[in-house]
Amino acid sequence: MQMTNPAALPADWRDLYALTKPGVMRLVVFTAICGLLAAPVMPPLVIGFTAILCIALGAGAAGALNQWYEADLDAKMKRTAKRPLPAGRLDRQTALHFGVGLGAFSVILMELATNALAAILLAVSILFYVLIYTVWLKRRTAQNIVIGGAAGAFPPLIGWVAATGRIELLPVFLFAIIFLWTPPHFWALSLFVRSDYAAAKVPMLPVVAGVAATRRQILIYAIIMAAAAVAPWPLGLTGWLYGAASAILGAVFVVFAIAVAANKATEPKEMGQEKRLFAFSILYLFVLFAALVADRWLLP
Amino acid sequence: MTKVADEDPKPEAEIIRARQRERARIMAWLLGGFVFLLFLITLAKIGMGK
Repeated sequence: MQMTNPAALPADWRDLYALTKPGVMRLVVFTAICGLLAAPVMPPLVIGFTAILCIALGAGAAGALNQWYEADLDAKMKRTAKRPLPAGRLDRQTALHFGVGLGAFSVILMELATNALAAILLAVSILFYVLIYTVWLKRRTAQNIVIGGAAGAFPPLIGWVAATGRIELLPVFLFAIIFLWTPPHFWALSLFVRSDYAAAKVPMLPVVAGVAATRRQILIYAIIMAAAAVAPWPLGLTGWLYGAASAILGAVFVVFAIAVAANKATEPKEMGQEKRLFAFSILYLFVLFAALVADRWLLP
Repeated sequence: MTKVADEDPKPEAEIIRARQRERARIMAWLLGGFVFLLFLITLAKIGMGK
């Protein structure tokens, strides 16, 4: 059997695809579609499709550049050690070229297909994720997820702006909802994988401030997020369908967050409440945004 | 190990060629799709009066 260094071979397309973090992209694409469909103006189908494609490609570029920068960190964590770069299946320069090229392509195509404001927002979201979150905050502060969460909050705003060409109050609320949703979502996860973050010396909140403080923060953010999610309804930006869905979902989210706050467990295998909140947080966002679209299209 | 590798360098060359072929095929499809997408975007823009 011949010994070959896999990183010296031409990159396999599957590894390039894995660089884009397809799992994360599902939520990005879904929220972007919802932002676009919730807008009062519907662009032609091909323009809408291209806008979503650009947002997905932009998110993929940000994911690739994140993995390019964090290859050393990923190698130290069980959850990420099998990614193409830490596993040695891809060389870093290929990942860098792929990420920069994909990012530039997505922004240019967005400008050609939709409008300059959507393209600028897409560029800002990519740069924010790579420079502000990945390079600057992640290894320096326990607030990394709080500020970095803004990068993931852009897709519905960009979807809306791609359709209308304007920033309005409702898409700003959509941005705020995802921004406030990110900390409880990630902190719930980081509670039961905190040994991974500790081993990689990433200052996630449970590692720096402890488990109890993280649980309190999860509850505080859950309450603020639930309130922000309901707010568009009394402000007259949405109908009762979204209002009812956001109220019920928010109440369940807060109840689960209270259960997390009350939990005293320190071992991951005893953190059923945290795992439940993490799983529900994903469902929460999907159903909330689906309710927004249903509200826009089904109600008179 | 080295002796075997010297005697039979074929597998690595084959892997490289196979990957290059596969990537070239995917690239061709993507470029074709991109051109078609640009065509459709142009038609849509004309339809919108832009």
